[in-house]
Amino acid sequence: MASTRKSSEKKKSRKTAKESNSRKAPAKSKQTKAATESPKALRLTFSFDGDKVKLVSQQTVEMVVPASDPVKGFSKQKGFWAELKNEQNKTLYRRVMHNPTRNDAEVFSGGPDQNISRAPAPKRKGVFVVVVPDTEKGDAVTLSRSSPPTTGPKRGLLSLATKPATEFLRFKLKK
Amino acid sequence: MGTSDGTVLGSTKIVDAGPETKRWNVVITSDGYRSNEMAQFALDAKQFADTLLATAPFDLLRTAINVFRVDVTSKDSGADDPSKCGGTGAKPRTYFDATFCTNGIRRLLVGNNSRVLKVISKQVPQWHMALLAVNSTIHGGSGGSVATFSKSGGAIEIALHEMGHSAFGLADEYEYYAGCSESGHDTHSGSEPSQPNITTNKNRATTKWRSLILPSTAVPTTTNANCANCDPQPTPVPPGTIGLFEGADYFHCRVYRPEFNCRMRNLGAPFCGVCQQVIVKKLTPFLPV
Repeated sequence: MASTRKSSEKKKSRKTAKESNSRKAPAKSKQTKAATESPKALRLTFSFDGDKVKLVSQQTVEMVVPASDPVKGFSKQKGFWAELKNEQNKTLYRRVMHNPTRNDAEVFSGGPDQNISRAPAPKRKGVFVVVVPDTEKGDAVTLSRSSPPTTGPKRGLLSLATKPATEFLRFKLKK
Repeated sequence: MGTSDGTVLGSTKIVDAGPETKRWNVVITSDGYRSNEMAQFALDAKQFADTLLATAPFDLLRTAINVFRVDVTSKDSGADDPSKCGGTGAKPRTYFDATFCTNGIRRLLVGNNSRVLKVISKQVPQWHMALLAVNSTIHGGSGGSVATFSKSGGAIEIALHEMGHSAFGLADEYEYYAGCSESGHDTHSGSEPSQPNITTNKNRATTKWRSLILPSTAVPTTTNANCANCDPQPTPVPPGTIGLFEGADYFHCRVYRPEFNCRMRNLGAPFCGVCQQVIVKKLTPFLPV
């Protein structure tokens, strides 16, 4: 009996996997409002040097932007994201990002197991790009991130930040 | 050193799904390829494009994706391979100055990303995902705004994993930082992560990917009995089962991933169902109407 149930569950699980992997071509579904309103986007390029981040350029490009991440219910979450805000400070578009300013790096073993791990990489400098819809309603862009732990073995490592993200950069868009 | 060490030749659309203004545009450029090696770069770029479009869920999103090749020559072949990391000490003259041993890490291969983005933005202003192919057989790569990878076997897997981070905001699903027996990575005591493929919420009714978990799947699906180490148990469910598997985001316990395995956990594995769903959702606006 137990064996039968297990087998039945196994079949169900496989079906779920198939369903969840949605092996049918995705239907053209509702596009984000921003994407249908305008094919224009703002490409924002930032530079970072350690913890310091500054906007380097703002460029309008005729292109579609990827669908937004959830614009509600994220206030206590940890991580790194960019938001496009309107004049009332309402989030119009949000992009969750793998913290581009993190002070460590992914390391690939190259062995047959293709193992991945991380290693501290302090004093990193670089650039990163955020693309948001170019819409009349857009007033400002903000960047938010969690702070790294200040004590213990995880001290200072941004990838191990545990607290909710807070806004650390805001600028008004050029009209 | 730098732009005097090569030439930007131009761009070629190698996968054409439609106008750049409406599609998701992946751009791959070259470093460490001499002018007489550009045919090889064309093959390498094609191999990447073929692999990408054969990878789920991109295989179902072909009509949304353009791939461009931006040809950039270098005076010399390869990438810097500093001897301080055990390399040969080679210092070829290349356009994007790609080097192994970045931050003293042997396999960390990084080019001048600022220069890469400048060139790509000029050649394909509508780019969404930037990649740098480095003409070296040494295994290596890196993420960030530019996913960088070498020509070693399996290095395309690095590019796909990094694309998961850069283009789709996916988190790492491995449960350790530098290795399983490390200290300080026992329990994930933080807030709910913003990334869509990891969670601290083990409530079946409210967790992020609840709609994909079958009623018959146990939640949590795996529990780590010893939080001082990685969970050694094999999967208790068939591959592809979506549930809550303990261990992810560099911590052994109290954080969950959606499937036992995923490309965001192990190179060479397929993207898990939740990661695939995220990718499909992000790229839906690029599908033809």
